[in-house]
Amino acid sequence: MLVLGRLALLAGFCALWEALPRVGLADPELLPPFSTVLATLGELLARPALLADLGTTTLELLVAVALALPLGTLLGLALGENERLARIFDPLVFFLFSIPKSIFLPLFILTMGIGFWQKVAFGVFSTLFIVLMSAAAAVRSVRPDHVFTARAFGASRAQIAWRVYLPSMLPILLEGFRLAVIFGFTAVLLAEMYASRTGMGHQIASWGENFMLQRLFAGVLLLSVVAIAMNEAIRGIEARCSHWRS
Amino acid sequence: MQPLAELNRDAAPAPRGMIEVSGLNHAYATRQGPVQALENVALTVGQGRFTVIVGPSGCGKSSLLMMLAGLRAASAGQILCAGRPITAPDPDRVGVVFQEANLFPWLTALDNVAFPLTLRRAPKAERQARARAMLELVGLGDAATRYPHELSGGMKQRVSIARGLVQDPPVLLLDEPFAALDEQTRMAMGEELLRIWAATRKTVVFVTHSLTEAVYLADEVLVMSARPGRIIDRMPVPLPRPRSYEMMASAEFGRLRDRIWQQIKAPAR
Repeated sequence: MLVLGRLALLAGFCALWEALPRVGLADPELLPPFSTVLATLGELLARPALLADLGTTTLELLVAVALALPLGTLLGLALGENERLARIFDPLVFFLFSIPKSIFLPLFILTMGIGFWQKVAFGVFSTLFIVLMSAAAAVRSVRPDHVFTARAFGASRAQIAWRVYLPSMLPILLEGFRLAVIFGFTAVLLAEMYASRTGMGHQIASWGENFMLQRLFAGVLLLSVVAIAMNEAIRGIEARCSHWRS
Repeated sequence: MQPLAELNRDAAPAPRGMIEVSGLNHAYATRQGPVQALENVALTVGQGRFTVIVGPSGCGKSSLLMMLAGLRAASAGQILCAGRPITAPDPDRVGVVFQEANLFPWLTALDNVAFPLTLRRAPKAERQARARAMLELVGLGDAATRYPHELSGGMKQRVSIARGLVQDPPVLLLDEPFAALDEQTRMAMGEELLRIWAATRKTVVFVTHSLTEAVYLADEVLVMSARPGRIIDRMPVPLPRPRSYEMMASAEFGRLRDRIWQQIKAPAR
């Protein structure tokens, strides 16, 4: 029933998208019908150039996340475990977290150019604080009496890390990782839209500037699906690792 | 002239206790200066005996138990368990049950019970068989796959007892294990613990602040004073076993409980 309702909502949305430009309620130049956009998307996906752009963006995101996750987790662990360090750095981290990262983009271009690594660096910069803060929160969520209990049964430090810290922290860590992927995707696309020669963000920007709205919508549709798929994949892992929290 | 006890010991050396504590002192630092928590504590618990330590809040009885478990170091003194000193947690000799069951919420009841065996890298089949047997022992054979959040307070504490017993240590230490339970569950759990004790013949040290619980469970009650914690009475409980609920109404039970009460009641302010 619930699934049916949701499918109906989705179908309704697509039907409305299809109908509005066709009956003249929306300008087809500005809002091409859904079927047209789908057809355009099919054409685009058959082009090696577009697949290369998609690959570039995905790789930038993956590398950025692969750097930010371990780095942010380690820094977060240090802050979460060391109270003195935390007292010094917590406000700083919090302030940095609240600043919009986009305003630093010109600086990244001035120092690193507009290539692959500039996108990665901006991606890392935009996600590091989220990972750091969630890792620190995750460490603080480990209950001392669980550690104490493990010790009572003779657990070594490594066993405490693996069998108490990790499972305790996993739900909050994964939540942070998921947000990091979302923010990282945004950052990489933004950097590409702002100044780049490759990548999906660059394509989206140039389609917009050149008034190629069928392609623009096709690109939006494609990136939306990719983003939702990534988010759901991590949420799936989260659900498997945190079923015990309720 | 030597005290009588000394003479007796010379005449016929008593069999060594499973747990022997001597000259145990503990002080910790606070902003107001050092606080003496335990003062010259000595005790012996014979093998298979059920000893209850009772005392007012803050008398250091839980600290004493944590020291017996090797989880906390004393400032001075010696703790022997099965003839060897306890300096660090040794699950081969000592199993522990805490006030809060302290189960790991991400593990099933079975995996919680098996946790100490997992730490020892015991083969999976052996772990599971052993943990299952312990769950049966505590009457939770059919709850193996449940997670802690699906268990009641009493059931959690049973799982915790099963975990304390899973490595078959000769000694089981319990730190106010039923304090967080409601009165009915608490009574039932006391009875249950006695049944498990009778089935396993462990040496048990049980800390509580409930006088009724102390008299109901113990072979011997050790009464501690308020800080600094000292053992001010060693009271054998001559009530027959198996103990029953009806015994609590007996004059003997009341007399024993009153003897503890007279010693630990707080002076009226």
